[in-house]
Amino acid sequence: MIEVVDARRWTTVQDRGRPGLERFGIPPGGAADWFAAAVANRIVGNREDAALLECTAAGPTLRFDTDAVIAVTGGHAAGGTSWQQVRMASGSSLAVGAIAPGLRTYIAIRGGIDVPLVLGSRSFCQRGTFGGGFGRPLQRGDRLAVARLGEHQPLAAPWPESHRLPVRGPWEVRIIAGPQQDAFVEDALQRLTATACRVTPEIDRMGLRLATPGLRLQPREIVTVPMTAGAIQVTPSGGLIVLHVDHQSTGGYPAIATVINADLPLLAQARPGDTVRFRSVDHAEATRAHRRLTGWLELDP
Amino acid sequence: MWQVAPAGDRALLVTVGRTIDPSLLGQVLALDKALAGRRLSGLISTVPAYASLLCHYDPGVTDAARLEASIMKLEGHVDTAMALGSVVDVPTRYDGPDLARVVVETNLTPAGVIEMHAGREYLVYCVGFAPGFTYCGALPDQLSVPRLASPRLRVSAGSIGIAGRQTGIYAVESPGGWNLIGRTALRLFDPAADPPARFKPGDRLRFIPTS
Repeated sequence: MIEVVDARRWTTVQDRGRPGLERFGIPPGGAADWFAAAVANRIVGNREDAALLECTAAGPTLRFDTDAVIAVTGGHAAGGTSWQQVRMASGSSLAVGAIAPGLRTYIAIRGGIDVPLVLGSRSFCQRGTFGGGFGRPLQRGDRLAVARLGEHQPLAAPWPESHRLPVRGPWEVRIIAGPQQDAFVEDALQRLTATACRVTPEIDRMGLRLATPGLRLQPREIVTVPMTAGAIQVTPSGGLIVLHVDHQSTGGYPAIATVINADLPLLAQARPGDTVRFRSVDHAEATRAHRRLTGWLELDP
Repeated sequence: MWQVAPAGDRALLVTVGRTIDPSLLGQVLALDKALAGRRLSGLISTVPAYASLLCHYDPGVTDAARLEASIMKLEGHVDTAMALGSVVDVPTRYDGPDLARVVVETNLTPAGVIEMHAGREYLVYCVGFAPGFTYCGALPDQLSVPRLASPRLRVSAGSIGIAGRQTGIYAVESPGGWNLIGRTALRLFDPAADPPARFKPGDRLRFIPTS
């Protein structure tokens, strides 16, 4: 067992989420930085669907009642060694502490966190307050069991720096136009990609509110439509909301463009005050970007 | 005319119209059913809402152009008649925090608002926004009031709201900008149930006043 000695602000159990249930109003969820989470599981030899801990802004202090192999990835954590396997002896503690640069850190434990599957996933769903073992973020005194999803050998060498994503802005985030581009005037997308957007403090797993100094897009109203993670919604006041993994399944603000899957991890690490610039790409570039990341995950570094 | 547009690099949105209309929902549900029956390779899941259907696909198996072509072939060839199931009763206590203001804004009496809201059958257009949230229409014009200028941070599960020509039921606690006129004890979302949501688009319901 692993005991949560200090939970800090917002640590939750996440895996690859529960996509495919949006028709019931359920967000896909899963690790916000899917790439860093996948690397953490890869380092400790876990199956891809093993659950791990996602920490936001600061990470917990954990005490191990058993020997364990762990990996810490994502945003830089003050305590602990990142991007490589770390052996924890029974009775030892890990204090993750403040995260910076970056916003989210992942802690994988060889075998995976053992909490019950809810609707096919171990992820905590904030809006539905279910999953993640406790139906809430971790609290002091919670005890986590370890599952048996460690099927491969842990990686002997640290994960190469050349195969990591940046954890520090300014961010260049790639987008594909649509699906509601026709709710805007013709040059709206061009004006958006020419604007340095600023990340506001209003960010969570559901979405990020961005300020667009000097830019005001005025969309026409639309009938509520299904939404995806990465959708860049424009509100009537002209602000942007970029939906993330725990996004509302439908929305009433039109999305001028959508962030490609390969760049969602960047938005998971963006901090208030960071600058985001969007760059419009086609499907071919989006597919190449995604293959680059999945290719890294398949490598034997 | 159906329109297909990319929703990122792994989903397409099919839009069949721009209004809230039972015949458009009929097209959405018919397309949804046809796609489910065809098992197109690479199509992972779909999400229906009002007048559009989102299609998630695996870009490693298919691509946007191929999927769009398969979808557009179905236009005009799907059965858009909605299967009419039984009408589900939603026991409702009309004691919402916005009822008094709705009475003023609509120039009705409290009994008049209740009679108008409860005295009809609604079509479920969409389950979305939050787990189990059920969007229904259409409200009579006389009961149409705008959304709250600033949404509440917390609306409790079971709350029944109205906004524009729509009425909706909050299935889990969430923020919300609709005018709350009542609540129901009916459980609309249960992660342990299959399916987890009580209603689906195309269902019909009516509100039954209880004291």
